[in-house]
Amino acid sequence: MSEVTIEWYIALSVVLFTIGSLGVLLRRNAIIIFMSVEMMLNSANLAFVSFARYLGNLDGQVLVFFVITVAAAEVAVGLALIVAIFRTKKSISIDDLNLLKG
Amino acid sequence: MTAYGLAPLLLIFPAIGFFFNALFGRRFVEADSKIGERWSGWIATLAALSAFGVALALFATLQANHFEAMVVPVADWIVIPAADFAVAWAMRVDTLSVTMMLVVTGVGSLIHIYAMGYMHGDKDFSRFFAYFNMFIFFMLILVSGSNYLVLFVGWEGVGLCSFLLISYWFTVEKDGKMVNADAGRKAFIVNRVGDFGMVLAIILIFWTFGSLGFERVFESAIEMTVHQETVHFGFFSAPIGAVITAIVALFLLGATGKSAQIPLYVWLPDAMAGPTPVSALIHAATMVTSGIYLLVRSNVLVELARVSFVEQGIGIFGVISAPDLIALVGASTALLAGLIAFTQFDIKKVLAYSTVSQLGFMIAAVGMGAYVAAMFHLITHAFFKALLFLGSGSVIHGMEHGHHHIHHAHSDDHPSDAEEFHDQEPDHFDPQDMRTMGGLRHKMKWTFWTYLIGALALAGIFPFAGFWSKDELLAHANVNHSNVFSAVYWMLTIAAFCTAFYMGRQLMMVFFGKPRHGAAEHAHESPRLMTVPLVILAVLTIIGGSMNLPNISFGGGAAADSHAVVEEGHGEEMVASSKGLTLALEHWLEESLLIFELSEEGGELAAYENYEYPHTPTTLVWVVAIISTLLALSGLLLAMFVVYRKRPLSATDPDPLQKLKPLWWFRILPLETLYMKTVVPAFKWLSDWLAFTVDWNFWHDFVHNNIIRDMFVSFSTFLADVFDKYGVDGTVNGIGSVTKGLAGVLRKTQTGYTRSYALGIFLGAVLLLAYFLWFAF
Repeated sequence: MSEVTIEWYIALSVVLFTIGSLGVLLRRNAIIIFMSVEMMLNSANLAFVSFARYLGNLDGQVLVFFVITVAAAEVAVGLALIVAIFRTKKSISIDDLNLLKG
Repeated sequence: MTAYGLAPLLLIFPAIGFFFNALFGRRFVEADSKIGERWSGWIATLAALSAFGVALALFATLQANHFEAMVVPVADWIVIPAADFAVAWAMRVDTLSVTMMLVVTGVGSLIHIYAMGYMHGDKDFSRFFAYFNMFIFFMLILVSGSNYLVLFVGWEGVGLCSFLLISYWFTVEKDGKMVNADAGRKAFIVNRVGDFGMVLAIILIFWTFGSLGFERVFESAIEMTVHQETVHFGFFSAPIGAVITAIVALFLLGATGKSAQIPLYVWLPDAMAGPTPVSALIHAATMVTSGIYLLVRSNVLVELARVSFVEQGIGIFGVISAPDLIALVGASTALLAGLIAFTQFDIKKVLAYSTVSQLGFMIAAVGMGAYVAAMFHLITHAFFKALLFLGSGSVIHGMEHGHHHIHHAHSDDHPSDAEEFHDQEPDHFDPQDMRTMGGLRHKMKWTFWTYLIGALALAGIFPFAGFWSKDELLAHANVNHSNVFSAVYWMLTIAAFCTAFYMGRQLMMVFFGKPRHGAAEHAHESPRLMTVPLVILAVLTIIGGSMNLPNISFGGGAAADSHAVVEEGHGEEMVASSKGLTLALEHWLEESLLIFELSEEGGELAAYENYEYPHTPTTLVWVVAIISTLLALSGLLLAMFVVYRKRPLSATDPDPLQKLKPLWWFRILPLETLYMKTVVPAFKWLSDWLAFTVDWNFWHDFVHNNIIRDMFVSFSTFLADVFDKYGVDGTVNGIGSVTKGLAGVLRKTQTGYTRSYALGIFLGAVLLLAYFLWFAF
């Protein structure tokens, strides 16, 4: 049983970020995309706290607090937007939201 | 007592008179011709008299202040600080200008009074007096100016007044001609030639001396001549003597115009078209003498031109000095005009040619350096020539009334004065034709006696003013030895004989014998307003000579005595002799004539070896006096013999003088005909060519239409059809279509799929990351 080192955390963070990215790029459901974005944020948060612990200072942890705060705000606005879109379009598929097509 | 400050009043009074008559005079005369004429005439006369009063005050001031000259500033005129150039309107009060002021205002006032009688009943009475006052105003500016530019203002101003007054009756004649207006134009245009010389001279003075003020010009002229400086004109340079000679020659050109000398005298006889008081004031006594005044004022320049010729041989074409040319021009004019006067039938034309002749005497005197004699003759001539003109006006007035007496039905228009020949039409009557007169001495006693005095003075008979002034002049020519002076002396002596002859002829034809026309039979004396000035002028003519009497010595040979005086020069004897009553004018004027100071011992001009100022003899030169008196008497007697013994019995008989054919050539020979045959057609051709060929065909048709208009049209066509269409529109449309095409390409990137935008953001982020990883670190 080997010790859990920083590489493990980074790897997890990378995996999470990759899954989030792919979710954003590939999925059509707005809620899913939203969740993927959250996943990317949290993978970043994980990387921050890992480095904070590894380096022995609190800078990363402080940043994580900010990220969480911003994410919370983003969720509030984003969900409101999705609800509003659903009310008008009866759909949350982002492929239907193509009004800005050139 | 200093009353120099009064000088501006000299101008203010005539100006007031002018404005009154110009603005209100017409209303006064139209409202009530009798009272209106009185107001209009007397205000003008009072203006002239007030100016005369001011001139007298200035005279007294000068007497009280040892003849000290004073410059009275009136206003700044042209000031250019950068060029260090300032011309002030300042009045120079010195003995010379005050002399002229006294003549102008004194004789002028008398003629104003006379004119009130002469012009009575004229419909433009007030216009006449407005012009008269304006003339006095400008004439006083001319004589009082302290620099050449102010003098020139007056010079042009009097020329304008002369034009206005010659063509005063500018009506169109029955045959469609405008004789009077044409005469005015002729005077004005001929004077342009002279004024051209004046302008050039003034420019030359400014260029050379950097100033126009008399004192500064004369001072620097003397200094530059003494140091023999050179004047630079950009491309070339000339010695100062040549420049001064040029200036004096140009002044002579100006003087030949204004003072009616060869070659420009032709305007003066025609100027008799004006009313007779105008002829008396402007064309005999004052304006025509301004050329003499100019040259006398510039005496320093004239003498310096003489110095340059004598010392350095600088003259006109290297042949003759400028003053000698002046003298010869004057003398030949005196002689030629005297000969022309023989053949005239118009009473005023005889006097006109006589004036030309007498002005020639004065110009000749100036050229000989006899400045005092010139001024003396100017003054006495002003007296007796004004008297003669006024007398002739009185005769004309009387003849017109006589003519009215026989032709009641005849309309009341004034005569056409400029008629050259007596018209052959039986009902045509020219009141100025001497052939219709005769026997007027019984009808017009005052006119006759005063006219006789004037004529004797003009002829140079002993006690009258003309004798003294003419004699001083002739003595000057006789006593100073040079070829030019001798020639001038003999020409002037013959001219003096001519003067006596034509005056005798005129006296005989007008006043003696029997009336040759009904008008002469019924002529009567003119009103008091006209005879009183005649009497005053006659008195002045009698006593005028006393202002510059020479010393008269009976002992010893006359000629030897006079030479002795000249050789001794302006030494002690001169001072001693001028204490008495004699030579008052010379003593008075020499304060203003710088040349006296310069040529005295110790003066700048006395240092020259060859040059000697030609002094006027201070004693009577018996030879000259006897010769001229004998010639004058013989001229009068000859005229009496020719005209009186064989006088024409009726107005149509030929003149007995006509047997002398060569004499009558002068009636047609003179320059007038020459000009009409050469200069005038040439000038007309030139102006036609300029007007039709150059201006119309070339400038309007060719340059305007073909060059300027066509160029403009083709240029604007180019602008409209090419530049605007393809240039401006092409640019604007091009910008539009390029933008549109670009937009068509770019819009394809806007797919509307959120995921593709997100992919773009990711890719961008990756690229940025890659950039930072590879390049930033």
